[in-house]
Amino acid sequence: MTKQLTVALVSLSFVVIGCTKVPTEKIASAEQAISEARAAGAPSYLGERYAKLEGMLTTAKEQIATQEAKFVFLRDYSQAEELLEAIQMDAARVTSEATRMREDAKAAALQAQQAAQASVKATQELLDQALAGGNRAALVAQKVDADGLTASLAQVQAALDSGDYQAAQVKAGAIAQKSEALAVEVRTALSAAVAAKGQKRITTKPK
Amino acid sequence: MNTPTVLAIGSCLLAVCLIVGLLFGCVQKAPPELLESVEALDQELVQIRAAEYAPEEYARFVGHWVTVKGRLLSEEEIRWPWEPNPLATELGAVQEEGEQAVTIARETREEERLDAQQRLDWLERRLARFAGQIEKTGGRVVLERKPVETELLLRQGRSYYKQGLYARSLDAVEQASRLMEDQTTILTTALARYADDERVAVWRRMVQRTVRWSAAHHAAAIVITKADRRLTLYRDGRAVVSYPIRLGYNGVLQKRYRGDGATPEGSYRIIEQQDRGETRFYRALVLDYPNVEDRRRYSQDLQSGAIPAGAAIREQIEIHGVGDGLMTQTLGCIMLRDQHIDQLFERIAIGTPVTIVGALHVENKVAVALAGLEEEPEEQNAEVPEETEEPVEQG
Repeated sequence: MTKQLTVALVSLSFVVIGCTKVPTEKIASAEQAISEARAAGAPSYLGERYAKLEGMLTTAKEQIATQEAKFVFLRDYSQAEELLEAIQMDAARVTSEATRMREDAKAAALQAQQAAQASVKATQELLDQALAGGNRAALVAQKVDADGLTASLAQVQAALDSGDYQAAQVKAGAIAQKSEALAVEVRTALSAAVAAKGQKRITTKPK
Repeated sequence: MNTPTVLAIGSCLLAVCLIVGLLFGCVQKAPPELLESVEALDQELVQIRAAEYAPEEYARFVGHWVTVKGRLLSEEEIRWPWEPNPLATELGAVQEEGEQAVTIARETREEERLDAQQRLDWLERRLARFAGQIEKTGGRVVLERKPVETELLLRQGRSYYKQGLYARSLDAVEQASRLMEDQTTILTTALARYADDERVAVWRRMVQRTVRWSAAHHAAAIVITKADRRLTLYRDGRAVVSYPIRLGYNGVLQKRYRGDGATPEGSYRIIEQQDRGETRFYRALVLDYPNVEDRRRYSQDLQSGAIPAGAAIREQIEIHGVGDGLMTQTLGCIMLRDQHIDQLFERIAIGTPVTIVGALHVENKVAVALAGLEEEPEEQNAEVPEETEEPVEQG
């Protein structure tokens, strides 16, 4: 009878201990889910929600540590396991949303890049026309600026290549704005030249 | 049914009601208004980007909030009615932490916003003033792409600011500020001659020699001062008339090779007069550039690698009218209005000396503009009168 009782108790102990095992797989899965969210750009696009995921993971680990400090038969990891499962679900949503936001940002940056390229090209063509008209000395500063804008387009591409779509969009926007301002400057200079020539023709007309 | 049975049933029902009442009364529930308040705080913290502006406080709030939320969802702890509600206490603590995080995040964000705004406004004002000073020095082209790069950075700073990205705005402002410092250094180095006593004294002696020659030979002589953008005609050693001029697009620099846009400095003579129809610039006076000193300097620069290896020196430098060109600047020549070149044309001859110098005083326009590059934008400087475009009769 005593022998049977001992066997029963030992078996029960194994069952209890087996049930209260540290959820290492769930921790690994939660960490992997957070890592995927990070790779999707969650820290940039959904900073607070990403921080919350990390907070949840920290809390889960603290709960596990608390349970581990307890006597083996009193350990209960169920709360930590629930939290780890919640992390996985939330992280999947964050990853999906961050991916969508990043794609939107990329599309916006590419659009801004195209607009900047078109604007700089138009300004360069306008300047080339003006320079071909013999206005080289008068428009040297504008030509230097236009060349500077063309060179700056490489920074937009570099930002795109590094995945910093926000910076790419802002840089492209600044280039387009300056390019338009430069085009206005060139047109104004050309109009002034035309007006001056017209005025000269009137004043030098033989009476 | 007799009375004892009724009493027994009644007692049982009362006991069941009491137990049920106690059980339901003791189920731990968070006060809904407190729960709503914490959830609202959670949303607010996301909106104000607390993870960025109060990372520690936000992490504490999140950790605590997650724990309490877990308990709210999973546990139904039983307590006696007279015992305090531990979940309410915990939620109260979470609320306090959330409020603290909100306060700190808001304060930090506002501080950063104000900092970005002030520095952006200041640098935009400074750049406007800086660009004006650069125009006054005439050294705009010397700076190559730096002015446009600075402007692009400031535009980016403003764009980031409008998006609420203050840290990025401040970063762009910082880069723009450094570029402006670089430009100040470049211009101060390139145009240091204008603020150099000894150099100005040399220029003054060159002019004195020319004026003495005019007096000794009872002839015309021309003095061109680049900093003042003036051409002065001397006769019999006395200034007769002074005209406003335009220089090369790099006119304030000493000419070193063909195509650098600089206007030469030195003593020259008029070797040819080109009348209407002989030049596209209305009328022109061709100088004997390059002189011996120009050639010596060119050889030296070529040997030291200070100028491009294939650079040539020969370039026709003239004093000419406007003709069909734009009246703004030249490729290195000295340009006058057509009516002024008409007047000058009649008063000089082949062989007339032309002395071109940087400045006659240390307090010249270029030196003053250079000193102004580092001035704070808030300071109100005395208005510098616009250059007169009319000839000034002398003596």
